[in-house]
Amino acid sequence: MGDEMIRRFGGTPRRLSRREALVQMGRGSTYLGVMSLLAACGVRGTQTQPSPTAASPSPLPEKAGELRVANWPLYIDLEGGKSPTLNAFKKQTDIDITYKEDINDNDEFFGTDLRQQLAAGQPTGWDIVTMTDWMIAKLARLGWIQPLHHEVLPNATANLDPKFQDAYFDPGRQYSFPWAAGITGIGYNKKLTGRPITSLNDLFDPAFKGKVGMFSEMRDTINFALFQLGIKPPENATMDDIERAVDLLIKQRDDGIVRAYYGNDYTDQLAEGNLALTMAWSGDVNFLKLDVPELEFVVPEEGGNRWTDNMAIPIQAEHPTDAHEWIDFVYQPDIATRITEWVWYESPVAGVQELIQEHAKEDRSLRPVANSELVWPSEDVLANTYGYKILSEEEEQAWHDLFDPLIQG
Amino acid sequence: MSTRAGEVVGERQLLREPPPGRRRSKGRGWILPLYTGLVIAYLFLPIAVMILFGFNDLKGRFNFTWQGFTLRHYRDVLQFQELTLALRNSLLIAAVTTLVATVLGTLVALALTRYRFRGRGGTNMFIFLPMATPEVVLGASLLAFFLTLGLPRGLLTILIAHIMFTISFVVVTVKARTHGFNREWEEAAKDLGATPWVTFWTVTFPLIFPGIMAAAALAAALSIDDYVVTAFNAGQTSTFPLWVFGASRFGVPPQVNVMGTIIFVAGVALALATVAIQRRQGGAAQPPAVS
Amino acid sequence: MAVAAERPGFGLRRGLVAYLLLVPGIAWLLVFYAWPTIQMFFISLQEGSLERGYQLTWHWATYGDVFSKYSTQLIRSVGYGLIVTVACLLISYPLAYFIAIYGGRWKNALLFMVILPFFVSFLIRTLSWKFILADNGLFLGTIKQIGLLPDDFRLLATPIAVISGLIYNFLPFMALPLYASLEKLDRSLLEAAQDLYSSRAVAFLKVTLPLSLPGVFAGSLLTFIPAMGDFINPALLGGPNTTLIANVIQRRMLISNDYPEGAAISFILMAAILVGVAVYAKLLGTEELTG
Repeated sequence: MGDEMIRRFGGTPRRLSRREALVQMGRGSTYLGVMSLLAACGVRGTQTQPSPTAASPSPLPEKAGELRVANWPLYIDLEGGKSPTLNAFKKQTDIDITYKEDINDNDEFFGTDLRQQLAAGQPTGWDIVTMTDWMIAKLARLGWIQPLHHEVLPNATANLDPKFQDAYFDPGRQYSFPWAAGITGIGYNKKLTGRPITSLNDLFDPAFKGKVGMFSEMRDTINFALFQLGIKPPENATMDDIERAVDLLIKQRDDGIVRAYYGNDYTDQLAEGNLALTMAWSGDVNFLKLDVPELEFVVPEEGGNRWTDNMAIPIQAEHPTDAHEWIDFVYQPDIATRITEWVWYESPVAGVQELIQEHAKEDRSLRPVANSELVWPSEDVLANTYGYKILSEEEEQAWHDLFDPLIQG
Repeated sequence: MSTRAGEVVGERQLLREPPPGRRRSKGRGWILPLYTGLVIAYLFLPIAVMILFGFNDLKGRFNFTWQGFTLRHYRDVLQFQELTLALRNSLLIAAVTTLVATVLGTLVALALTRYRFRGRGGTNMFIFLPMATPEVVLGASLLAFFLTLGLPRGLLTILIAHIMFTISFVVVTVKARTHGFNREWEEAAKDLGATPWVTFWTVTFPLIFPGIMAAAALAAALSIDDYVVTAFNAGQTSTFPLWVFGASRFGVPPQVNVMGTIIFVAGVALALATVAIQRRQGGAAQPPAVS
Repeated sequence: MAVAAERPGFGLRRGLVAYLLLVPGIAWLLVFYAWPTIQMFFISLQEGSLERGYQLTWHWATYGDVFSKYSTQLIRSVGYGLIVTVACLLISYPLAYFIAIYGGRWKNALLFMVILPFFVSFLIRTLSWKFILADNGLFLGTIKQIGLLPDDFRLLATPIAVISGLIYNFLPFMALPLYASLEKLDRSLLEAAQDLYSSRAVAFLKVTLPLSLPGVFAGSLLTFIPAMGDFINPALLGGPNTTLIANVIQRRMLISNDYPEGAAISFILMAAILVGVAVYAKLLGTEELTG
């Protein structure tokens, strides 16, 4: 480049001294080296990568005797700091299980523990991950979870409650089995609101200015906005509908009605009375009521969100056979019962509610769990709940582009 | 500007306290101590709440509202195996990080403030970069790096990450101390026949020690508290912040408060102990004041 | 600084020593910070998605987009950072002054007490603040009862809470370097200054403050740089209108999976910080200070 310019202006380019020539060559090869490294910098997309699993799952290896499970906090029974279920599992299957409550948020866990590892084709270190239904759909879409071998899951296939057999996010239960289920509705403090809350209108009511909580989780909140606009089920929403939904939420925020957008930390705000009403999860409010009896949970008449947290096996898992054993183990009714008696979220295993009702006859402390509408929603309640729209990658990005500025003004 | 003033050498230099008979400086003696007390009280305020909730008699699962006094959490403090393990990991990581980062960072600070060399300005700027980089980027880029190397994530990767982001803080803190360092004492030692090695340990090091201590304390606090970078690079290893963050949905369990209380009380005891030790040594056993 | 120029052999060794001192720390940073961050830079110029894959297309437009989309948060971060730094300086200076000059044998203990709260997890401290600042908690509730504040007044989920949280978090980052710098001041200089100048205030301004500038500089950097990049205080104490740039980066990279945009925002942030640091260094007239 420089030489050209010099010639153009009538000069003669300086001949390089030997040292300069060497330096230039060094730079050149470095440049080439860097360029080739950069060319390798691109990441192959999942669409272009050969999927390790085709229509039928790859054959299972030998049982390894080891297992690593990731789950949400407080999702398994705990007694004196240890989990009876985990101990029972170790005894029954002889598998050394590492159970970690590392999942606090679907996207966060995906971002820190799954995305880079699986994109690079390396193991995540996890054999079982417990993700919410829409994330299961996303992982399946990316080809990052393995199809399950139903033939080694006798308990799971037999005991799965019929309610959960048709999973819109995982047809035929190809990739996952549910761990627990719940509902997103409205949790409120009846003393602070002064009246029972029944409708989404209350979340948008200026009377509660500064005392309303919404979720920072995109799908939950957009669903509620869609229901408020009368758009349901969410699968029918077009991008125009989403824009209208976000506009509604923007108005709610700009009017000062929303105090903040919460993740898991809405619970202490509700308990301490900083929030009068908020989007909430059924099981949480159930527990909070023990400490703060004024709290109530309601599924809004316009609609609530029905979700399930599901066990899946990521690809590159090192102990898939043992993972299958775990899934099958927790579908034994007495195991599932013990878990549910502690966790207070709905169990996907058939017959658990009846078993708990049996136990409740002797153990009064189980009464809330045995008969609670929150733990065992009726058909009517369920009829008024909806799942989440399954999004393609473009749709997900478009949704995020609309939603993120809302909560991060 | 500032360096010239520091080179005055006189007999008063040897005294740390104003000579007796100077009443002026003692006359206004209550404002600053009171202020210091207030600030420390302000710093301790959330700790007081933490200590309080270690005694909370929980009826349910949540530790948000006060429900009564109990000592049982002190009895059951090691109840959650995962938590105890996480705490142990964090303390171990903090100890190693502090050691390595303080050594590496102090060396760099010494080089930057006592020598002239090519690339000094650039190195100075470079040191600031890790502090300026958002944790998400630090964590994600390190994870990508480890994946390329095929290094499994765990204790080792956490250590590497922690040392990486604490070095800068150490350098900046120690530099504040070593800046404008007066060589005269070292020259004197050399004139007396001391080798550079001996000079360093008997003259230089004691003089810059307060800066090193401050930097070490900072590094330890940063390491023991780190969440984001660790979240990316921990694999299946638990650290205290990772565990607490997950548990915080239901309010931090009282055992965490108890552990925090114990750490805190131990720290206060340690601080008081240093006072007692110094009193026994007969006043400030510090090297002469050299600017 | 008196480099022994008269002894050429000695001077040469000194040059080498500098590099030897630098190598361990800088090498660590080069391998575990510089290389991964450079990779991140290239990611910021990529386009694509998880399904389609990412290609390095030198897509500089991402940077332009980021500027327009997130200018509010960027400016807010700078603003908060400045407020927090100034506040920390004003609060910490008397504290560090007292401990350094008048601390005596309590010096180390007091210093330790200042940093001790930070060995307790940030999450516990912030949750405690949420408890203290609750709308009708001990503090606000009492004031509201007296009638000094309207009933719907709140501190949480406001900029005040976020800034207060930041100030609280970064006090020791300012106090420790200030202390390190003040502690090595020559007492006799301060005495002399008080003799020379008519008032203590002038003595302070003309002598003490300039001598402590290295500490001020270090403390300001250690406060401003991380404060600008803090995300945890807005996340836990803030509301929708207190989002800082680090929250945006966190969300775009971690939740929305947009690594290129997240990386681009990060580099703009880092560039802004570097420019700020360079300007600040020039303002204080401290090419010396940076080295």
